[in-house]
Amino acid sequence: MKDIRLMKGNEAIAEAAIRAGADAYFGYPITPQSEVLEYLMSQKPEERTGMIVLQAESEVAVINMIYGGAGCGKKVMTSSSGPGISLMQEGISYIAGAELPCVIVNIERGGPGLGTIQPSQADYLQAVKGGGHGDYKLIVLAPASVQEMADFLSIAFNLAFKYRNPVMILSDGAIGQMMEKVEFSKQIPRNKIMPEWATTGKTPDREKNIITSIILDPEKQEIHNQKLQKKYREIEKNEVRFEKILCDDIEYLIIAFGTCSRVCQKSVQIAHEKGIKVGLIRPITLYPFPYHEINKMTDRLKGILTVEMNAGQMLEDVRLAVNGKLKVEFHGRMGGMIPTPEEVLDALEQKIIQRK
Amino acid sequence: MNIETEELELSYKDYKLDQPVKWCPGCGGHAVLSAVQKALPETGIEKEKVVFVSGIGCSSRFPYYINTYGFHSLHGRGAAIASGIKVANPNLSVWLVTGDGDSMAIGGNHFIHILRRNINVNILLFNNKIYGLTKGQYSPTTPLGSITKTSPDGTIESPFLPGELAMGAQGTFYARVVDTDPKMIKDVLVEAANHKGTSLVEILQNCIIFNNQVHSEITGKEVREDNQIYLEHGKPMIFGKNRDKGIIQVGQKFLVAKIGENGVRKEDILIHDAHNPDDTRHYMLSRMSLPDYPVAMGVIRACKSNVYEDMLHKQISLSKTREKVKNVNELLKSGNVFNIQ
Repeated sequence: MKDIRLMKGNEAIAEAAIRAGADAYFGYPITPQSEVLEYLMSQKPEERTGMIVLQAESEVAVINMIYGGAGCGKKVMTSSSGPGISLMQEGISYIAGAELPCVIVNIERGGPGLGTIQPSQADYLQAVKGGGHGDYKLIVLAPASVQEMADFLSIAFNLAFKYRNPVMILSDGAIGQMMEKVEFSKQIPRNKIMPEWATTGKTPDREKNIITSIILDPEKQEIHNQKLQKKYREIEKNEVRFEKILCDDIEYLIIAFGTCSRVCQKSVQIAHEKGIKVGLIRPITLYPFPYHEINKMTDRLKGILTVEMNAGQMLEDVRLAVNGKLKVEFHGRMGGMIPTPEEVLDALEQKIIQRK
Repeated sequence: MNIETEELELSYKDYKLDQPVKWCPGCGGHAVLSAVQKALPETGIEKEKVVFVSGIGCSSRFPYYINTYGFHSLHGRGAAIASGIKVANPNLSVWLVTGDGDSMAIGGNHFIHILRRNINVNILLFNNKIYGLTKGQYSPTTPLGSITKTSPDGTIESPFLPGELAMGAQGTFYARVVDTDPKMIKDVLVEAANHKGTSLVEILQNCIIFNNQVHSEITGKEVREDNQIYLEHGKPMIFGKNRDKGIIQVGQKFLVAKIGENGVRKEDILIHDAHNPDDTRHYMLSRMSLPDYPVAMGVIRACKSNVYEDMLHKQISLSKTREKVKNVNELLKSGNVFNIQ
């Protein structure tokens, strides 16, 4: 029998964490994602799987607890929203530098600063271009439904361990708070055998190992950086994920991720009824970004509209993908506002189609 | 020419705003706000010099509700921002409004350091022992074993006592008040404002939605006289409905004694010395808790010490008098200079 429930996105990601065999969740309340911590506490995961849930004193403490847990080879995760994710950036940089796996969920809200508690996509650049200091990358997944909140969590853990790299799930307050049908997979048991690099105690048969991102010798630090970069090229080669919606025989293309892609799916449907040949590409991995796929399509297109809940952040990656071959326009809402399907279509007609 | 001027006295109305106060009906914050508005005119501080700084949380909405300069800042960082304001502009009267989440959790670091530096800032710590703004998770002051949204089986962490932290951080002023006694808040706030150095006023505040009645054993009408002791400098530590109980010291410990019983005389009751630089008794007073002791209210500690911004500006003045170079021109011509031929 299928295990189908009606749940908030925040609750789905929490339930998925238990089922993915996560060892620990560290968190701190912040709207609009406090339900992740609350749901986990209410489920008593220590009884269900032995998973640990801890409310820390701040997000700075959280990310360093994550660093410690990840160093033990455990499946550890956290969730927060913009202001909290900003507080974690220092730790994220260290974790990436030390090549440890973990999953960080950002239920974005409007910024900058404390901003609003309504949904936003304004943390895109922070997520995909670094956020913290130094040359590092996060693998970034962008769910567009409550189902994907659940599904992407186990994908995120798999990628994190495959590449020994932090993975971010970049979602927003709309998906976090809305309720949808979600089907859960079976419980995965927690790992019993830790990776060979994990802090499990120095027994006589083990080499000494120090988990660190500090390499003071610049020659060695460069070699370490080269190793990281090689890993990122591997990730770019293997892990690009995207979804094409109504993209056969089209003249125009809309590119949007997460909540915006849901809105734009409707815009595309309305456009088809009106005879406008427009399709939708939804990047699922924001890093690695589907540059190649978008670039391949530009020759047969008349224009691209990027739609985001920010001032135009993914727009920069879309323009890199198009590489000057085609004019790319943008429609966005900011500060917690969500565009309507009709206004997206209006923007397409005014900014892209009527230009021709 | 003589111009006649009329000296206007400030009243609480000068600090009131017609803004709607967006705290829940029945929130302890309303009484505190009103007490602050009444206390400020009594401090004699010019209204234009008052700044209210806050962090994040329910209490931190305070600057919107009072007619002064305001600074609604970052979660936990209010103490650092208030420090910056006071050091940059020592003429201002700086007030920091914070909560048990804001200052005891993420802001713990800045909280202890403002006290250690003894910057002349007045801190109002609204302690409702819960996270109100995020809707009911436990905080660092939530009593052990409390059931909240994030502790369905009860908390397993020992709570902080803000007074303990204040003493540990070498704080020079610590007072405790309850939100059910506006006069007590007002009187203590005036003392806090007059204190030179960081003043910490802990306000036991009720959160009617997420932690209702958390302080009722202390504030309840029936019990408050027996369960609170209001401390005043130079006065004996006497409390109780019949004013017949007091604090005595036996060896290293405080004890509650009844005057007239077991040979205890009124003269045996300890006299409160808030000004003593030695904080041993202040620490013991701040830790007194039910059911063995009444909870200490009023100004528990108020002692003189160096104030950071005074020391800083003194150091700057001293450096200026010692320095031979007085201006940029002199600076440019000092050291190794040569003429181009």
